[in-house]
Amino acid sequence: MIEFMFALAIGILFGIGVFQLLRRDLIKAAIGFAILFSAINLFFVAVGAFEGDFAPYVSNVEAGRSTSDPLIQALILTAIVVSFGSFSLVLGFVNIISRRYDTVDSNDINKLKH
Amino acid sequence: MDLVLISAAPFVLALALALPAVQGKLSKATQTLVSSLVMAALFVWLLSFLPRVQGQGAIVQTFEWAPSLGISLSFYLDGLSLLFGLIITGVGALIFFYAGYYFDAPAEYNRFMIWLSGFAGAMLSVVLSGNLLLMFVAWELTSVTSFVLIGFKGADDAEARAGAFKALFVTGGGALALIIGIIMLSVAAGQILYPDEGTRIAADLTDILRATSLAQHDWYTLFAILIMLGGFTKSAQFPFHFWLPGAMSAPTPASAYLHSATMVKAGIYLFARLSPVMYQNELWSSTLLTTGLLTMLVGAYFAVKQRDLKALLAYSTVSKLGAIVAMLGLPGQIGIKAALVGIIAHALYKSALFLVAGTIDHATGTRFIDKLGGLRQRMPAMFAVTVISALSMAGMPFLLGFVAKEVLLDAMLHYEGRWTALVMLVVLFSTAFTAMAAYMLIYDVFLKKPRQSIHFHQPPSLIRLGPLILSLLSLTLGFLLEPLIVPLLAPAVPKSFELHLFAGFNEVFFLSLGVLLAGFALFVVRKPLIARIGFPLSCDMIYDEMLEYIGWAGRSVLHTQSGFVRYYLVIILGAVSLVLIASGTLSTVTAGQSFIPRDLSLTITDLAKIFMLILTVTAGMLTVVVREHVKAAIAYGVIGYAIGVIFLIEHAPDVALVQLLVETMATVLIIIMLGRIRTRTRLNVIQSLWTGRHGYNLGLVRDLVISVTIGGAVFIFSLIALQSRPEQQSVAQWHLENARVVDTEDVVGAIVADFRGTDTLLEIAVFTTAALGVLTLLARGRQSGSAFVPRTAQVSSLHEFDEDVVDEIQDATSLSTPFTRTVSYIVLPIAILIGIEQILYGGIGPGDGFTAGVTIGLAISLWYIVLGYDEAKRQLPWFRPEIITRLGLVIAIVNAAIPILLGKGFMGHVQYDKVLGIYELVGAFGLHITSSLIFEIAIAITVMGGLGIIMEAIAYPAARSNGRRHSAEAVEATS
Repeated sequence: MIEFMFALAIGILFGIGVFQLLRRDLIKAAIGFAILFSAINLFFVAVGAFEGDFAPYVSNVEAGRSTSDPLIQALILTAIVVSFGSFSLVLGFVNIISRRYDTVDSNDINKLKH
Repeated sequence: MDLVLISAAPFVLALALALPAVQGKLSKATQTLVSSLVMAALFVWLLSFLPRVQGQGAIVQTFEWAPSLGISLSFYLDGLSLLFGLIITGVGALIFFYAGYYFDAPAEYNRFMIWLSGFAGAMLSVVLSGNLLLMFVAWELTSVTSFVLIGFKGADDAEARAGAFKALFVTGGGALALIIGIIMLSVAAGQILYPDEGTRIAADLTDILRATSLAQHDWYTLFAILIMLGGFTKSAQFPFHFWLPGAMSAPTPASAYLHSATMVKAGIYLFARLSPVMYQNELWSSTLLTTGLLTMLVGAYFAVKQRDLKALLAYSTVSKLGAIVAMLGLPGQIGIKAALVGIIAHALYKSALFLVAGTIDHATGTRFIDKLGGLRQRMPAMFAVTVISALSMAGMPFLLGFVAKEVLLDAMLHYEGRWTALVMLVVLFSTAFTAMAAYMLIYDVFLKKPRQSIHFHQPPSLIRLGPLILSLLSLTLGFLLEPLIVPLLAPAVPKSFELHLFAGFNEVFFLSLGVLLAGFALFVVRKPLIARIGFPLSCDMIYDEMLEYIGWAGRSVLHTQSGFVRYYLVIILGAVSLVLIASGTLSTVTAGQSFIPRDLSLTITDLAKIFMLILTVTAGMLTVVVREHVKAAIAYGVIGYAIGVIFLIEHAPDVALVQLLVETMATVLIIIMLGRIRTRTRLNVIQSLWTGRHGYNLGLVRDLVISVTIGGAVFIFSLIALQSRPEQQSVAQWHLENARVVDTEDVVGAIVADFRGTDTLLEIAVFTTAALGVLTLLARGRQSGSAFVPRTAQVSSLHEFDEDVVDEIQDATSLSTPFTRTVSYIVLPIAILIGIEQILYGGIGPGDGFTAGVTIGLAISLWYIVLGYDEAKRQLPWFRPEIITRLGLVIAIVNAAIPILLGKGFMGHVQYDKVLGIYELVGAFGLHITSSLIFEIAIAITVMGGLGIIMEAIAYPAARSNGRRHSAEAVEATS
């Protein structure tokens, strides 16, 4: 049941992210971009963290408790920081576009092909 | 090893010349001397291989590279490569020296020499490489360097640009054919040599030269044609010859070196190299012979018509290249000797003539034959050089060119095939025209009276050295055939042979004299003759026409490009959706899967998770439907926090901590950025977001369909992934069991800083790159002030629109209350303390370098928001994010490298406290000083610095830089 809920949430978030990217508003597109990242991170943690009932600490392991998957957590951990980096890059693009074109409407920007 | 060094040396020279220290410190004269000495040293070094090559044949040095692909870093030196290598280095030394006096501006000289040395390295690699694929790489490198050298003056010379493009277009196109030919040839050789090993690429020359039955291989026709195409384009054979005259926009030293002595002979080298395995087929010899003769004729015939000295030389080069190719095509390899002698003779006289042309250009400012004349008195040395070299070109006894022509005619006389008479006629005709061109060079440039007075200034005297030596060689080598030339050629020619300066009064000698006389007769009647030369259709015209069509095709394709990035995304994702639905992939994947959850039981934690998921999705919906950007940003923050809580419930405290911190940071960042965008701008997009053009919004429906399809596909994908998850943890088990080894309680921390440390190292490098990207984007607008993206009409900020929360940030003063100031003053030291704590004790509890860096970064961003950019900069003088980031990365890399010295490999785990003997001491504080701890510190510093860069760039007040200036401009424009 909880798998179903997770998958549904991931699917909806992904759809929202794609929808935002497709719309004209660049600021909302940036937010949609970030939502895509969140959806992917959520997917990974959903895949990996189910097994255990305890945090992956050595003391928990030695006490014989089943822990969640530490590898996936380590991957998400760095992924979060990197996705923040690329998100800020996107924001930088939006920022400079708004300065140059005085618009954040992607329909007003078609000079990129030249 | 020696051969590697030889072919690498010119590259090293190029790099050395590119060093700012060299450019600034060493004078032009020193650079000239050093670079030509390097080439001279390489010449001597190569010459020292001669006895070994004569004794044992080929010298092979191989370093394995990608054996499965048949690529090896292999070097091969036999007679043929030695001959070419000696020409490249010998002529190179003289031309490098010449170039130092040809260029007046040191900077220009330096830039030229960087590329010319690079070319020399590439060319040496072509002839020294022992692997066809390696040779191809070098071959392409010569095209690229040649492109740059032809277009050297391209910044303000459209003709140079066009010439450079033409050369690259033709030789590059030929190279495409060549690489396919090479691969087919190598595979064929592999089939012949290793019949039992399946598909094996035998691209090593040692292999290919053993595969003697290649000429009977099924694919022979195909790969022979492809390889010949590559060679013909490179060596300017008809109908591809037109790029060579076009390449004359290059500075003359480059023309002399690349376009007469070396690069254009790469194709010839290729033919000579492959001749032993290819020549037995009729296709090979007849194509080479026909193309070569045609080229020889066309080049010689059109050469005399040229009015530009360099163009004349270029056409005569084309002619000579054709003659050499034809020699290589003579059946039974009887022409090899003539080809090689021709290559040496041509390299000497033609580069000398080019250098003369360059010197004349330098002295008089023109290269047009009609304008020139009477230079004998003014440039006696150049006159002597021209007389010797031009006569050598004409084949006057007893210069080296005479020998070359003798063996050429001799080989032709021995040719027994169809059309012998016609072949001989073509050869005689071409050589007569070549002789005519030679006389014209001597008389029209140096002897005849100039029509008008010409500007003249004496060039530097040392400029004469190169051409003088070259012509001296043309003069004397004819007499030194036995001691010098024969031993040099002997290893390269398959059969034993003799060379004579004077072989007696035989028919060859009389033919040779007859050609000289015929040339003179043509020279006498040159004025009416030249006026008649012409052909209604030139290859250049066909080329231009073709280019026109390619351009047309390109423009037609461009019509499909709307320039709206959003629609590209619509097309891409729409196509994906269409494929997903139409191909039935979705139904195939979902077959046998149940989507109705079987187990409906839920625990309390599950309910908490579901609550958080609903919160996430609701907030996600909100980001879509709310109109104001600030509210959307806050809704986005809610998504981040809700996911953070899910991480926490899922027993991932470290991830949850990072997630909460980073999401805070991201939300702050969006809101700050909103403050940098004018309210009017944002209002415009909000107003037009939901309105369609015709009352209904078709685009909205389209976007909805696409995103629902994609979201649905992701849902199905993740559901299947989650349901078919393996029961046991995979590699993670190992990490759980071994975390104790690295003295860490927190296994996630151990993986990040230790087990998968290299990953993390790369991740922080990526993060830094992203931060630098932000800096570059925003700082460029900040400093230059000029738009690097074209600006459309600016609308000045108007006050008639409602203002929203974001305006608060646009003016920092409204946020800077005593309370907020106090908070930010207190928060920073606390954040630093928390950061230190997280690093030191991150092994025991949640938190690590990432969280430490983000925590401190957050506190600093608070300063930027509350105090404004200038004030924060002033009060935190030590916070220089660029330097901090660099420091972090350096620490990370040094820390990763030190274990190598201790024999533990890159990123190995070192317990410094044990190494230093303070394990017990620091252990009392619960500390372990290990390489992972230092790595965590480095991560924290890098992340903090990276956040600082992003913060600074985005928080920089836009109004002060471009925003206000642009609005001011706009106001001026409107008023």
